[in-house]
Amino acid sequence: MVRPATFFGWVELLLNQYGSLFLKGTGITLMIAVTGTLLGFLLGLLVAIVRTVPVSRRDPVYKKIPLKIAHFLLGAYIEVFRGTPMMVQAMIIYYGTMQYLNLRMPVMVAAVVIVSVNTGAYMAEIIRGGIISIDKGQKEAAYAMGMTHWQSMTGIVLPQAVRNIMPSIGNEFVVNIKDSSVLNVISVGELFFMSKSAAGTYLRYFEVFFITACIYLVLTVSITRILRLVERRMDGKNNYTIYGSQSDSKSSITISDAKEA
Amino acid sequence: MQEHILEVSGLKKSFGDHEVLRDISFSVEKGEIICIIGSSGSGKSTLLRCLNRLEEPTAGTVLFHGKNTESERSRVSFLSKVGMVFQSFNLFANMSVLENCVIGQMRVLHRTRKEAEEKAVFYLEKVGMAPYRNARPAQLSGGQKQRVAIARALCMDPEVLLFDEPTSALDPEMVGEVLSVMQQLAQAKLTMLIVTHEMSFARDVASRVIFMDQGVIAEDAPPEKLFTAPEHPRTREFLGRIINRQF
Repeated sequence: MVRPATFFGWVELLLNQYGSLFLKGTGITLMIAVTGTLLGFLLGLLVAIVRTVPVSRRDPVYKKIPLKIAHFLLGAYIEVFRGTPMMVQAMIIYYGTMQYLNLRMPVMVAAVVIVSVNTGAYMAEIIRGGIISIDKGQKEAAYAMGMTHWQSMTGIVLPQAVRNIMPSIGNEFVVNIKDSSVLNVISVGELFFMSKSAAGTYLRYFEVFFITACIYLVLTVSITRILRLVERRMDGKNNYTIYGSQSDSKSSITISDAKEA
Repeated sequence: MQEHILEVSGLKKSFGDHEVLRDISFSVEKGEIICIIGSSGSGKSTLLRCLNRLEEPTAGTVLFHGKNTESERSRVSFLSKVGMVFQSFNLFANMSVLENCVIGQMRVLHRTRKEAEEKAVFYLEKVGMAPYRNARPAQLSGGQKQRVAIARALCMDPEVLLFDEPTSALDPEMVGEVLSVMQQLAQAKLTMLIVTHEMSFARDVASRVIFMDQGVIAEDAPPEKLFTAPEHPRTREFLGRIINRQF
């Protein structure tokens, strides 16, 4: 075989030979990042809702004690999963369940579980921040018309909070695309793992990881753009229609306010 | 015999060491319009917030049609019958005017969207805000927001409406439009408790005026009496200051 003489020659050869490997790795990375972020987000929402349940002095003991315990456990969950590296969590969860529960998790399931649980801990705190950012009056107005904590959270507070924290959710997404690479320690066939195998054959680490870096960059930039679109969508229309006038009840006029971008 | 809608007895509320309400007792009859006046920090707003459980009282009871309002089960049905209008409006910022009036009806009273929207438009028309049903709260003026907030509260078919300084956050120009809506409600004999600094409004509309001072009810009398011949020295002092300020 003729060995290419230039950098681009190598890139071309590697792409030709390992293109499907890169593609597969990219797909798996994206799959793990998307499901992990989504599940982590839902987990974070649940944790944040439970952690904001108001406990009043007059509540009966049977309501207070389980809530106190739940608050403690959720606090511990957040501390542990934010305070240890995901790579270590991967080893402990994957091999721990294997050795002690005799449970041989498919490696993809393990990957999604690890990323979700890890993201959930961060998301819980991000969402708590979002909830704090919403004016207390919103919740009070909801309570005052008889809504329960769950109703006021899901109907009023969280939709506003989630809009406010979209940039942070974007951050988590980008972090997950990149940090899923640590899952190569439990042999998940994501992009980094595939790249390592591709690099091994000709020992062309620089060229392979140059390609890998480009793929990661394309993924993260696209995700960021998509989330910006979602944000715009959530902001809704910036015009509104006034119906009827003194002379004609069928007339209407549309007012658009120039909102700052 | 007149029917007590609300009956408050021995109500106390402290924030830490600070005692805001000290032994408040009074009752509200159907159709009464009670204005609560007093200087800042006298506990007016806290009293209102204790009535609909936005604050948990330290001691005492609030009875609604003779029933305790403390238990979790009675809470929701009680709260939907006691509406509240806030000083800072507290319209749901992420929803249109119409949606603000609909969501409570659907989620709490389980009305269908059609029913809820009909009712919402009916009350929005009453307060003159129906043309703006598509607008968002951020696109409205203060007076408009407060009128929507009143419509939102009315949509729940409340038996009592609590107003917590509804005009204090408004430009002087907009106070009138909100007060005239409240005047209409008074004519319709809706039971209302109004914390306010608008003395002339209180004199015109109230059937009873409560003057609060340092966490207690200092005086509770019809407006003709309280404004012209106040008994309590603190009432006299307070009214003297207010009236001097209003030319």
